Amino acid sequence: MRNRGLLLKSLALTLLVGSGLVSAGEIVLGNLQDLSGPTSVLGNAVTRGAELAVDRVNAAGGFKGDKVKLVTVDTKGNVQEAIKAFNRLIDHDNAVAVLGPPVSNIGLAIAPMANEKKIAVVGSFIDPRVTVQENGEAQPSMFLIQPTSTQYAEIIASYALEKLGYKKFAVLYDQSNAFAVSMLKPFKAYIEKRGGTVVAEETYTKTDKDYRAQLNKIKSANADVLYIPNYTQDLVITVKQAKQIGLNLPMVSGLDAAPPFATLVGDPEAANNIYFANNFSDKEPQLTEVRNAYRAKFNEDPINKAYLGYDKVTVILKAIELGGGATGPQIIAGLSKVKDVQGTTGVITISPKTHQPLGLSMVMYKIDAGKYQEIGRYVPESHK
Amino acid sequence: MDYIYSILTLTGITMIGVMGTYMVTGLTGQFSFGQAAFMAVGGYVSAMLALKYGVPFALAALIGSAAAALSGLLVGMPTVRLRRDYISLVTFGFGEAIISVLNNSAQLTGGAEGLVGIPKRVDLPLVMASVVVCLFLVACYKNSKYGRQCLALRTDELAARSMGIDVNRLKLVTFLFASAITGYAGVLYAFYAQYLEPGYFNWTVSAEWLIIVFVGGINSLTGAMVSAVILTSLPEFLRFASAWRIIIYCIIVLLIINFRPNGIFGDWEISRLWKKKTTVKGGQA
Amino acid sequence: MLQNIFFGLSLGAVYSLVAVGFALVFNILKFSNFSHGGVMSFTAYAGYLAYIMLFDGHISGSWMFLAIVTTAAVVGALTAIVIERVGFRRLRRNNAPVIYYFISSITLGILLENIITIFASSNFYSYPLFFSSNNIALFGTTFSVADVVTLLVSSGALIILLLVLYRSKLGLGVRTVSFDVNTASLMGIDPDLVVMATFAMSGALGGISGVFLGMNYSLYPQLGQLVVKGFVASVIGGLGSITGAVIGALLLGIVEVALIGVVGSGWMPACVFVIMLVFLLVRPRGIAGVIVQEKA
Repeated sequence: MRNRGLLLKSLALTLLVGSGLVSAGEIVLGNLQDLSGPTSVLGNAVTRGAELAVDRVNAAGGFKGDKVKLVTVDTKGNVQEAIKAFNRLIDHDNAVAVLGPPVSNIGLAIAPMANEKKIAVVGSFIDPRVTVQENGEAQPSMFLIQPTSTQYAEIIASYALEKLGYKKFAVLYDQSNAFAVSMLKPFKAYIEKRGGTVVAEETYTKTDKDYRAQLNKIKSANADVLYIPNYTQDLVITVKQAKQIGLNLPMVSGLDAAPPFATLVGDPEAANNIYFANNFSDKEPQLTEVRNAYRAKFNEDPINKAYLGYDKVTVILKAIELGGGATGPQIIAGLSKVKDVQGTTGVITISPKTHQPLGLSMVMYKIDAGKYQEIGRYVPESHK
Repeated sequence: MDYIYSILTLTGITMIGVMGTYMVTGLTGQFSFGQAAFMAVGGYVSAMLALKYGVPFALAALIGSAAAALSGLLVGMPTVRLRRDYISLVTFGFGEAIISVLNNSAQLTGGAEGLVGIPKRVDLPLVMASVVVCLFLVACYKNSKYGRQCLALRTDELAARSMGIDVNRLKLVTFLFASAITGYAGVLYAFYAQYLEPGYFNWTVSAEWLIIVFVGGINSLTGAMVSAVILTSLPEFLRFASAWRIIIYCIIVLLIINFRPNGIFGDWEISRLWKKKTTVKGGQA
Repeated sequence: MLQNIFFGLSLGAVYSLVAVGFALVFNILKFSNFSHGGVMSFTAYAGYLAYIMLFDGHISGSWMFLAIVTTAAVVGALTAIVIERVGFRRLRRNNAPVIYYFISSITLGILLENIITIFASSNFYSYPLFFSSNNIALFGTTFSVADVVTLLVSSGALIILLLVLYRSKLGLGVRTVSFDVNTASLMGIDPDLVVMATFAMSGALGGISGVFLGMNYSLYPQLGQLVVKGFVASVIGGLGSITGAVIGALLLGIVEVALIGVVGSGWMPACVFVIMLVFLLVRPRGIAGVIVQEKA
């Protein structure tokens, strides 16, 4: 029943598109984000970035004459809400593709439904399980436009181990946060395989606000460097309290240390000697235009998730072009063909085997006395 | 269609979860602030059995609910001895403790990243049937000797005790029954959503269920169920308001609490529609 | 060891301010006021707003801190008064069961948090640096200036609060109403006024805690969820007792830090639960040992 409905719908759409009847039609893109829950800062940033991209396309006369419409639904950062919201986007709003959230848990929860409905979800959920099933095959409908947590953690690990020469690692991470956990495991695996050791592994959970006891244990573990793959607000606490107890280690972190992190800390002595990998370089020309447009519209600087929102729209529209039409299956087919698309965060090529981006390098940054210094793009030997 | 189906299914699951809260809070007047933790126990136990040992769904569901009841026993035994004031704290602490255990046993439970690949065994008809069966069980319990004793207990614990009601045992039995039902809601959720994460089961979910029970009318099972339907689908109708929908939801809840101090239904039950007749007849005779 | 006790105490100091704001309302209306978390988030952002709109460029350092704390305390007091009017006044008129107050407070907490989410959640924000960020070495351990200020201001606020409660007519009114509303109103005390004053005090404390949280942890809408720690501390401390709440908060801080050292932070909530349970079974009156009439 359901399948037949879908079939009829897509058949009708293909006919309409084919016959040129809906030339001045509308392409509805769903945007599934957390607008009111614990990751609302990220969700709102993605949404704003996406709105910007859609505005620009429409201002330029739309996508091949079709107006692009972005329908944003709130997940409250909650799986149950996300299931309802996703179904609503498809059934009620007739979205042909969905911009996924930067949160892996939601990605994991909607993957089975997206596969069944043949609606592509393009997201920045970095847990590799969102895009690749346990048997090694790609999740048919899930696409990632950012390095996976494995690629990402390996880049950072390689940089710390092979470039900076650190051998003894301490880690501090949020055990109740899927992002932090997924950034930890590949990191540990990478360094332990290549002669590094983890000398201290400390955790905290969401409601903890004081890490000094953990940091103190790390202090006595005699590590070379501290790995902190956590959310921005936690990183602020970490560096402040590390300074307080006199823990003077260099730190490596994920892209949550990107601006405005150092400004949030507000103390150049605390936000010091921190390395992290960002998706893009601030100096790259393709960013400037988007950043200026964002500033003009929202009156503040975008955080990096906003660029990802922008790129999700770019990639989906490219996929409509490559797939030959704006239906779920066509977009899915088109996404597998996405190659060398210039996004704000880099040149995006999606692997048809894993639905993950190929060869997206990361830009290493160092925070030195509260100032961001770009080190340049870095690709580990093992990734080349 | 799938949109409506998913709303109905998840509402049904919430209804079953709310039944647990209704029993603990509505019947015995204890304040359960960690009811969602039993949902986590039921969901995780059954899902892990199915995933790791290939246990068939029906058996996994049974064991899952039993495990929730068992954990209810563990929490309930000391809790019923405590003053009412502390029960909210202890159940809250239990909820947090369960989440931390789930996060910590990452090899078994998948930790914060969640448990994936749970087979889909639950659809709308099963959930609807489950709602009916559970509702029947809870209604029977409410009208049984135990239910009446519970009412006495909630109104005046001291008086109930002096009437010879074994208050602690009664609280414990109700608590166990409630945990099993909430655990079953967890089973349904796990095999419907096909994905579990510990963070989902935190105290805010338990708080939401409490809000539902009170908006419906603390003494009324009918009220609790109707308000479960209204309050879980309300945010969906408010989607047009995007970010404002939670605010509208809160305002509606506040209005009801302020202007219908006994909830929408007070202590009215739908069964009165057909029971009233018999009382009238009895009066005439 | 000594250092860990200090960590625990300074963590407990943050909890205690939250717990006291909580206990004040419990004292008088006998319910756990979860809207306090919302007040903390709300005032933290209000302080930030005042900083960028009013104070920035005019004052700095400690003066800026004072200005922001004062603003936040005033906003907190006003917010709490509004909360009382909207969420609880009618319930009191209806003689609603205490449990409804609780539901109302949770809803109000969610409401406040979402108002912030709508207006301020596309980015993270933070206060400026108020104090020198140097450390003070004392007794073989180190404190940050912010820590010391937190400790001083919280104890100052608590002392003022205790003075008001035990040395003023208003405080007498609060204590009377907390004992028995009806008798109090027969004695010519206006319970509405007393309840309002209590909420204002609690809100002001919430405002101060909000600024501390924002100063130490940066601003995000869920900042106020720390309220659960205040809830735990105030209940363990003895329901509604102010000193009990402070002791409960300090103990909670020390126990948490000690458990992190022994079992690691992952198992900490599970251990806190067991300890809490045992404690309540052994000493059902809480730390302060005040017997409160059993309500909900």
